[in-house]
Amino acid sequence: MKPLNLLILLGFLAGMVWVITLSEGSVRSIQASYYRTIAPFVKGGSQLELKANAFLREVEYSKDLEERLHRTELEFGRLGAIEGQLRELERENNELNAALDFKRRTEFTVTAARVIRRQPSTWWKTIEIDRGAMSGIGRQVPVLASGGLAGKVDRVTPGRDESSVILLTDESCQVSVQVEGTPEVGIVSGQRGQIGEAPLLRLRYLSKDAPIRPGMKVVTTGRGRLFHPKILVGTIESFEPGAFDGEALVKPSVDFQNLTIVFVTSAPDNTSHERKEEE
Amino acid sequence: MIGYLVSVLCMVLTAIVLQQFMPAIEGLYDARILIVPLVFLCSSVTVSMGSMLVLAFICGFLWDAQHLPGVVADLGNTVYTRPAEMLRFGYSIVLYASMGFLMQGIRPLFREGKWHVSALLTGVAIFLYLFAEFMLITFVRGEFILTRGIMLKISFCALLTMLFSPLVFWVLFKFAALFNHTIRYDGLKTRRRA
Repeated sequence: MKPLNLLILLGFLAGMVWVITLSEGSVRSIQASYYRTIAPFVKGGSQLELKANAFLREVEYSKDLEERLHRTELEFGRLGAIEGQLRELERENNELNAALDFKRRTEFTVTAARVIRRQPSTWWKTIEIDRGAMSGIGRQVPVLASGGLAGKVDRVTPGRDESSVILLTDESCQVSVQVEGTPEVGIVSGQRGQIGEAPLLRLRYLSKDAPIRPGMKVVTTGRGRLFHPKILVGTIESFEPGAFDGEALVKPSVDFQNLTIVFVTSAPDNTSHERKEEE
Repeated sequence: MIGYLVSVLCMVLTAIVLQQFMPAIEGLYDARILIVPLVFLCSSVTVSMGSMLVLAFICGFLWDAQHLPGVVADLGNTVYTRPAEMLRFGYSIVLYASMGFLMQGIRPLFREGKWHVSALLTGVAIFLYLFAEFMLITFVRGEFILTRGIMLKISFCALLTMLFSPLVFWVLFKFAALFNHTIRYDGLKTRRRA
């Protein structure tokens, strides 16, 4: 081996050791700098993808879209009226709670965001949205979509209004959930290797003789300081008791194939929730 | 040589920009054209081992900076005690270097002018790269899973990417001519025929 090649090989190995031993904070800081640098290109790429998708959809479903838009407008009006009633009920509920000296429930504010890019990486199930640091969005906050929980914010680029969301269908997005109507709690997460098919979630750490039937609803517990309680995650598809615990497959309530609009929530007020649990 | 290496580095940076415009093709199991690995693999067969390692380090570092998600669970969280293991930042550098060594193995053939063998090997290397990456994820998370969907995704990615390798080789030859960098030794070809 030439001396120069040997030197480069040693330098390469030293560089490898340095990179692999970087702390999480340093990695995040490197990624933030990287995204700040390439942000204009990411935005350009996202816009192109959005335009291409919009064009393809328009060609394919122009009449269908028109009808759906009409239906959506009607639904929007109806939901607006319902929301007005709900706000009134919420106010009344808060007043009654205050009168009964209960802890006032946390305000649940949401920021609507558009999905500007789907699956930007090979294996991790993520999306990019057009709301970020400039809209007051932070890391690890829950993201909802029509139907229920969609995931949580993974990366926020400082100084930009964009962020990356890790979807519930990814194996690394874990959520503490409860099967409604039972005391069964467990952790739900995505499954590896589900490509080109309707994804199912995996619910673990249930009792082996849990009274769980297909069709039961799965909602968040709010434990673990990451997600708000009582958000719909999906419905039970099947249950399999094991030797020590049980596992269930859950059909997500969100249509991940057609995710276009999501809602980023505020971080849950953990202390009040945990205090309420203690009570 | 330096001029050629700098031009290859510029190509890598251009590839990173172009990669942002490459969507996943839903009809082909979310396959995509991997331009950055393609440029690296094609370049690695045209340079010495030392230069290949430098390129592997840069490409792997930037690739992870873009793609690797963060650690998911909060430390000290009592509910999420067993988070899904994530690969360490920098694993792509090892994968890039491994694939670079694979490409260097057929460098003598490439220098004889048989670039089409290298083009085919680019597809093989992309396939091995993605397969190794998935196996690494499987290894750190446990539970062996290998579905038809994954194999098809990897195959389509490799195939789509390989189709663009002649174009990258053409650009590399142009840069080599511009900076007087010798990639191809026609003499070797003639001697072997004789």
